[in-house]
Amino acid sequence: MKRRRMNQVPLFSSAGELANMLVTSNLIDAAWAKIPELQRGQSAFPSSVQTMVDHPTPNRTIVVFAPLPDSTQYPLPVGGDLVPYLDFDFLGTKECPSVSINRAALTIFESLKNHLSRLKTELNKREGQLIITGHSLGGSIASLFTLYLLSNMDKESKYRPICITFGSPLIGNFGLQHSHWNSFFLHLVSDKDPLPTLFLPSGRSATTSSHSQATAYKPFGTYLLCSELGCACFDDPDLILKFLTVASSEVGGGLLQVVDYGEILRNLKNRAICKGPQLAGERFAYPFSDGIVMELKTIGIDPAKHNIDTTRMEAEARTLAKKTKASDAKELNDIKKYMVMLEWYKKKSKEANKCYYDCFKNGDFQRDVRIEEFMGQLTTYWEDMVAQAERKPQKEGVSFRTGWFQSATTFRRMVEPLDIAIFYRDGGRDYINNGRSPLYKLLEKLYEEAAKNPTGEGPDSKNKKVSVLLTDDSCFWAHVEDAVLSCQSLNHANSTPEQRESSRKNLVKFGEYVMKQIENFAVSPEIFLEQSSFMKWWRMYEASIDAFGNFYTSPLVNFMKSHKYDCYGLPEEA
Amino acid sequence: MGETVGKLIGLNDEVIIPTASLAMEAHNSPSKPFLMKKIKIRHDHLSVVVLAFRGSMLPNDWFGQPPFGERKFRSLTSLNDGGDAVINGSFFQRFNTVLDQSSLVKEVKKAIAKEKQVIFSGYSSAGPIAILATLYFLENPEPNQILPPRCLTFGSPLFGDRIFGHALRREGWSDYFTHFVMKYDIIPRIMLSPSSTEHEQILNYFKSKFDGKNINPALPSGFYLTVMGNASSVASYEACHLMGCRNPSLDIIKSFIELSPYRPSGTYVFCTGNGNLVVVKNPNAVLQILIHCAELGESDTAEVEKRSLDEHSAYLSELKECLGIQAVVSLNGGPATATWNDLGLSPKAMLCLQSAEEFENGRSRNQDQIRKNKGKIEVELGKMRKYKENSEIRRVGYYDSFKLQNEDDDFHANVSRLELAGIWDEIEEMLKEFEVPDDFERKKEFIDIGTEYRRLVEPLDIANFYRHSKDKETGAYMIISKARPDRYLFIQRWLEHHEKKPFGSLSESCFWGEVEQLCIDIKKRGYLQQIEERIQQVERNLIAWIGDRSLDDDVLLENSTFVKWWRHLPPQHKSESDRIEKLIGERESCWSINQIRTGIIWHCDRTVT
Repeated sequence: MKRRRMNQVPLFSSAGELANMLVTSNLIDAAWAKIPELQRGQSAFPSSVQTMVDHPTPNRTIVVFAPLPDSTQYPLPVGGDLVPYLDFDFLGTKECPSVSINRAALTIFESLKNHLSRLKTELNKREGQLIITGHSLGGSIASLFTLYLLSNMDKESKYRPICITFGSPLIGNFGLQHSHWNSFFLHLVSDKDPLPTLFLPSGRSATTSSHSQATAYKPFGTYLLCSELGCACFDDPDLILKFLTVASSEVGGGLLQVVDYGEILRNLKNRAICKGPQLAGERFAYPFSDGIVMELKTIGIDPAKHNIDTTRMEAEARTLAKKTKASDAKELNDIKKYMVMLEWYKKKSKEANKCYYDCFKNGDFQRDVRIEEFMGQLTTYWEDMVAQAERKPQKEGVSFRTGWFQSATTFRRMVEPLDIAIFYRDGGRDYINNGRSPLYKLLEKLYEEAAKNPTGEGPDSKNKKVSVLLTDDSCFWAHVEDAVLSCQSLNHANSTPEQRESSRKNLVKFGEYVMKQIENFAVSPEIFLEQSSFMKWWRMYEASIDAFGNFYTSPLVNFMKSHKYDCYGLPEEA
Repeated sequence: MGETVGKLIGLNDEVIIPTASLAMEAHNSPSKPFLMKKIKIRHDHLSVVVLAFRGSMLPNDWFGQPPFGERKFRSLTSLNDGGDAVINGSFFQRFNTVLDQSSLVKEVKKAIAKEKQVIFSGYSSAGPIAILATLYFLENPEPNQILPPRCLTFGSPLFGDRIFGHALRREGWSDYFTHFVMKYDIIPRIMLSPSSTEHEQILNYFKSKFDGKNINPALPSGFYLTVMGNASSVASYEACHLMGCRNPSLDIIKSFIELSPYRPSGTYVFCTGNGNLVVVKNPNAVLQILIHCAELGESDTAEVEKRSLDEHSAYLSELKECLGIQAVVSLNGGPATATWNDLGLSPKAMLCLQSAEEFENGRSRNQDQIRKNKGKIEVELGKMRKYKENSEIRRVGYYDSFKLQNEDDDFHANVSRLELAGIWDEIEEMLKEFEVPDDFERKKEFIDIGTEYRRLVEPLDIANFYRHSKDKETGAYMIISKARPDRYLFIQRWLEHHEKKPFGSLSESCFWGEVEQLCIDIKKRGYLQQIEERIQQVERNLIAWIGDRSLDDDVLLENSTFVKWWRHLPPQHKSESDRIEKLIGERESCWSINQIRTGIIWHCDRTVT
């Protein structure tokens, strides 16, 4: 096993301490307390899972789900398959766009849907803590109900939810690892309980394989994994699946026994304040790996035997540890700095009577080399932000994006022209289809969606000044370049009539496009600077119109010929 | 080993036993709120006076307001946005009664006047009273005091929260407090658990025992699991932080459970029960030891439970034995293997202690990193100073120049501004997360460079703010608002704290913000009375700040935003016309003199005129 390098800061695994904090607090007891009561009571709903609401204190609401005793004793593993469920598509991510839910859980959830929908409306009016809890299949319903609530939660919601399940089977194919929602789920699973592994393909008959078998089911949330000896908290889906597989093989085939989580909790509470069999000897030279091996052994996993790569886990922890609020603050200021550098470049170009686009394309200034470095830094930053958003469930991704949407748009409008410049400088053709990076495409798509969205703030509602400084359409220069190429083709002696006709059509289309931009004040006045590529195009186009004796006219031709652009973008009162 | 407890805590070993003895006597003293005793020390000319306080085992004197009886404590506060310290309100109230209704202050002053060192001491519930008394005299020192007051407690319950300990360490007072704790004593752990019937059982047990009415009262039972369970929850929560837990559920879970706010502070001396003593200063390590050394072993719960009560009364005999042997281990250098068997710690506990040690190392590393960054800060500040001088050559203040953003220099200054913001925002985040040593904000080197940064660069942030009309989005750039970056607010507080000025009083770097805002508000609403008051305030501030040079006189340049605005004010709204005109005039003539004399501009010195 690889060890920590000498100059590295030692890391620690807090899986055991987090679990210890949980079992010694009263939160889990409070979540469990009502379940046996509900199971003993009369069934109020025509469903195999019953539910009730309790208000133990004015500040706390508990929603409990538990299966009827019969279904605990004889849970039929029918409906172990996954069915697509459109209602939960808000959980979709780029990796898993369509969400499927376990059939059994879904059937029960649907049968309670009317009640739950009323309950949701009622809960929306409440404040304070909301604990949603359930046992076995009841826990699955608790998870589904919590997701249902989360999808409808907004800033006005005053309650804080947490979902705590006991011995629940996995419910779906979606992961929440990159979502804030993940932190609302806590699943208690005992290694003696066969129920949570019910729908895993490896099943109860599987032997301890070196790899957990591929399953469409994905765990999400934090798992409090327990054994007779103690407990540990993990949120790594692979590790959780490993635990479930190992546990189910140890429980063996045969009859399903009922596991009493009340008793398990009592045992864990006692264990939490016990020293355990052995006393400390030496200091640990490798706290992370030594610690995690101890934690895994406590819950019945032998890292060597079950092929757990603690080195990988430490490397991941190290990556996470590097990202702090402090480093984020530094990064944000760096990004601002790069943008300021680019704005300055643009301004300097304008002072030289040039567009920054043309300056950059022609390599006019010495500082252009650094410009490419800044572009690179900015692009990496935004690619990372977009990737983060894509890993989140759709619904959450949207609200994540609103925070930085404005800045992303400014970035696209500022930097994409420079990428276009590189593309055409290097002899490219048709940037939009051949050269445009997925990042820009995505940012533009998001921008258009936001523009259509009537509830959200309009993308440009805040600062109208931006449009004066930067051209709205970040691909404007690509259109210009293509128009230049069309002009050349039109004038070229070797062009075929078909090519000429096609070029002419393109130029007409381009003219209409530009005119529309001008009418909307969506282009920067800089494009009319004497030496800009746009003006070069115009002179070339104008010449070709005149040369062919073609008295072609269009709003743009009129606009340009009459020099109306001299007043474009000037303040109206002036 | 050669170490003695006395050496480690900075007191003569001979004072410990008499102090403990007096503390135990005073706790049950029926008549007096405190006892006093002079202690003679061999070979030491300085004599010591010990004051020990009376205790109380009434539940109401422990938990006034369930579950934890906490209240805010204004005297100790965090300089970042951590707020005021939290302490136990019931103990605080008892201390105030002693302060108001006894001769405490008089007696202490008398003792100090006689060149005596004062030790405040308390056993059990009198411990917090001793802590507060010590704090009172640390905050209000006597002029002729030779040595600071000291505090020794024996089996004291926990009393203050994390901010309380942080502020003590920041002020450098932490070492004046020493707490002796027996390995299993339940009382030092009791405050980590919310008040409950178990607490009452324990307190009632001790009450009847101390009252002497019943030497062997019935032992309560079953409390150990409850109290230690809750205490363990606190310890694990803290351990998660020390270990850098990145599971986001931690915060959610925390919002659903009520953990005790109290944390250890000061130096702890653990009596291991076999004659050995372990001295620990790292507060995070103290908390972990407090919980882990009292964990149940293989032995019977009932046995440990009994011991946890018995040991609360055993301080005197235990200390007599320990101080005879003087087998002392200090844990300040990190966990030492030899101590583990004495304290009976598990491997789990060892990891917690190592993480507490590593956490401190991390804080020092961060401070070192910031020290290294000082070079970078200096370079950028140098550029800024140059920028400021160059702007003045053009007879425009750098504030106004920056707002116009016409020159290359303005752009470079903006890049420097962002560079510096990155460095200082990083520091600010570390402070918020307590990731630098507690005394960071009191270190002169950081206050100085921070203050220079604030005075030189904050005007540019304000210029940027009003250049982009950001007031329309966030409201005015005021002293305490969302618009002003926290980094400036924090640095300002360091200086205010250092100079013992009220928070918010040294806001000279926000001068431009108030001027800009007044321009806007007058345009919008005219000269309301409230605005008139603000104008007068600006005028008074200007005169005071120019006077003590905390504000640079380039605000007085003829065509600065300030002078132009101020000159346009109708005369009836100005109250300091003459003095300000004079200042502007002085600035002008001083500028011309320098022009003539040297041909270049150097830092204008008003004394020239």
